[in-house]
Amino acid sequence: MKITIRHWHAIAQWRWDIGGTSDHDDADAEDDVCGICRVPYEGCCPACKMPGDDCPLIWGECSHVFHMHCLLKWLGTAASKQQCPMDRRPWVTAERKIAQPVAPAALPSTAPS
Amino acid sequence: MATDAVRAQVAAKWQDSFNRLNRGQPGITGLMALSEAWNIASEFLHPRDLTTTPTQKEPNMSAIKIAFDVLSKSRMLPMILESFLEDMRKQQHLITAEVNTYMSEFENSSDPRVIGRLVHRLVEWYKAWHPAPELGHTILSAYTLSFQTHVFSVLPPSFPRAFKALVTSTLPKLASDEDQEDEEPPDMSVWGSFETLGLVERYESLIASVCYEHIEAYVLEECRGKWSESMLTGLREWMATKVVPWMVYSYARGAKTPDEAKHMLQGVGSRFDFHICKTLCDLRTSEIFDIIIDYPDSLNALNDLRECLQRVDQRAELVSTLRYANKKRLLHPGADTKDILTQYVSIIRCLRIIDPPGVLLFKVADPIRRYLRERSDTIRCIVASLVGDGESGDSLVDENEPIQPLQTAEVEDYADPHWEPEPIDAGPDFRTNKPSDVISTLVSIYDSRDLFVKELQVLLAQRLLATKDGNFEKERRNIEILKVRFGEAALQVCEVMLKDMTDSRRIDQHVQSQKASVIHPTIISRHFWPPLQATNIVMPGQLQEMQESYAKEFTTFKPDKKLSWLPHLGTVHIDVELTDRTVSTQVPPLEAAFIELFLEKDLWTIEDLVAKLGGVDKASALKSLGTWVDLGVLKEEEDFKYRLLETAEAETSGGRAHAPRPAIAEEPLAVVTVQQQQAEQMRVFWKFIEGMLTNLGSLSLDRIQTMLKFAPTYDRNIDQLGAFMEAARREGLVTVQDGMWKLNKK
Repeated sequence: MKITIRHWHAIAQWRWDIGGTSDHDDADAEDDVCGICRVPYEGCCPACKMPGDDCPLIWGECSHVFHMHCLLKWLGTAASKQQCPMDRRPWVTAERKIAQPVAPAALPSTAPS
Repeated sequence: MATDAVRAQVAAKWQDSFNRLNRGQPGITGLMALSEAWNIASEFLHPRDLTTTPTQKEPNMSAIKIAFDVLSKSRMLPMILESFLEDMRKQQHLITAEVNTYMSEFENSSDPRVIGRLVHRLVEWYKAWHPAPELGHTILSAYTLSFQTHVFSVLPPSFPRAFKALVTSTLPKLASDEDQEDEEPPDMSVWGSFETLGLVERYESLIASVCYEHIEAYVLEECRGKWSESMLTGLREWMATKVVPWMVYSYARGAKTPDEAKHMLQGVGSRFDFHICKTLCDLRTSEIFDIIIDYPDSLNALNDLRECLQRVDQRAELVSTLRYANKKRLLHPGADTKDILTQYVSIIRCLRIIDPPGVLLFKVADPIRRYLRERSDTIRCIVASLVGDGESGDSLVDENEPIQPLQTAEVEDYADPHWEPEPIDAGPDFRTNKPSDVISTLVSIYDSRDLFVKELQVLLAQRLLATKDGNFEKERRNIEILKVRFGEAALQVCEVMLKDMTDSRRIDQHVQSQKASVIHPTIISRHFWPPLQATNIVMPGQLQEMQESYAKEFTTFKPDKKLSWLPHLGTVHIDVELTDRTVSTQVPPLEAAFIELFLEKDLWTIEDLVAKLGGVDKASALKSLGTWVDLGVLKEEEDFKYRLLETAEAETSGGRAHAPRPAIAEEPLAVVTVQQQQAEQMRVFWKFIEGMLTNLGSLSLDRIQTMLKFAPTYDRNIDQLGAFMEAARREGLVTVQDGMWKLNKK
């Protein structure tokens, strides 16, 4: 027997590659929310209407992830002192590289809870 | 012993009388003349028997005149009148006999003409006994009164019925009587006789009732079931041409000029006009349900009804009739929700014609709305018609109706110079400025619009996921329309869904250009789609390879994102090449996965298959395998074992009657419906309730509701909670006593 797929109309969901999580614990990653607006990463920040590329995430060196708009707004306030709202370390935006999934274990202690 | 005084008195009286009668004539010549005159007069007045004395010599009027003069001078006229009436009384048996004869003839034949003849005969008697008009008014009226009294006293109880038949026969014929049409036109002269005999006065109400019945019969005959044309003007015309001439006989006798006749007819005419309206109104009221079904063909009937209702106050009857009809014919389990909605919309439109302020509608609609609220699929039906159901052509929404935002009832603006008070029969809850737009009305059945939006999402998701050719322009258009109605914000989510669709296509084009693949996914933003049934099926073999390679390309294209597949959704066009044949079909991915597994080995048990794929329940596994068995690719053996048929089975087994599966009969409901979502939510709340009841013992429903309100997503009202608790009680989880709920201790 030989099986040929002619055409496959599939359905898939996209999600942000937050790093540190691999495919098998998807279920745990279900409810990751932005620490500022408490909306899931795959949702959009309160100011946006379209999720995805229109409302991207921003990664910090401190391993915390937020909606970019949320974080920029936070950093724009005087009270922020340019610190990460989660751990009060100075906010440094992490360089995101495509290569990141290759070494997810490089940040063992930084996986978001 | 008479005294002298008495004697003298008697003598004086005697002398006095004598002088009066003798009128001072010499001797007793005066008395003689008087006696002569008396004889002439009584002979003249004597009521003769018409039956036996057919001819009679012409009375000498001058002699009679002199005789009456004499009597008058002697003040004997009352006496002669008395004696005349006495004579009449003696002769009355003649009339009685005739009346009885005619009546018994009528009893036998039921022919109103007999009564006509009776009436004419009575008039003959009346005329025959009639004293000469010269004798003065007193005698005439005394005579007439006495004659009529007698006639009325001898008429048997059956006479009114007979009289009615006679009156009826004088009316213009109805269409239904055409077949038995009389050759002779109705005898209108009887009306003159009625008048003479005083029958018109005596039987006035009876004559009116004849006319009423006539009108009723005509209206029912002409108008029943004819809703497409306006009837009222036709009826009034008929009234003017047919009934009014008749009324001239009955009600305007003696009118000398047309104006006078008009004046006399005015009162009775408006009564009859009212009766026309009332009859038509009754008829239309009884037909109202079917009239509404026929809308808009029955528009004219509705206009008639509106006009009638302005004249006749039958609004309450209309409401109760329609409510009853709705209850009996519409609001029962056998009726399709879509039909109920269609009829409801028609009712809205029709009653708006009859009663623009909407009081009637408000009263009629209430039970329908309450009933619809209880139906589980109402929202789905409304939403389906909102987005224009593909299969059923008739949409609830009129295409021509301008699309407008949903209206909500506003607070009355008393500063408005055009403000009008509520109609007098409006109920306490009535609001004048209710939303008039049909969709607004339908949506307002429910308190919240969220339900509609949610259902809309589910429906849209189902449709979008089912599109294969990527053509969803229709959905886009629908969403644009609905945005106008529900507002931009409510449909934001739908907007995202549509954007996902376009994005998916763009991404797919890019990915395909990088690395061609047969897999064309729709990539969705999961928080903006209704919850999709989750599974963790692992696709086998080449299917998985395809997924992985596509996902890799995707991640290259969008470095920050990754894909997770929903393997149970979508469709696969698959060719299965076997030794002797090729089966080409479209199946859900799950079924493709099953057949893919048969590449590894030819014989599988169902348990092994399920274990291999993971996350498949046995029922859907059986269904999937059933597809391939039906297609003749697999064969079911005992103990749920399946074998691949590399060569087709012999005809003997192929001939067995297995029902050919309809290609893609019903798309499995991929999207979790709103109800399921709610049930899922309630399960969460049950944990809260359980906790509460454990900690606090027994609680009233109010308390539970108050406490649940602290939960962030709780949006049920107390009735829903009550229903839920009731369900929990049926399952034996809780008990209730005096309104206090507590956990059922096991």
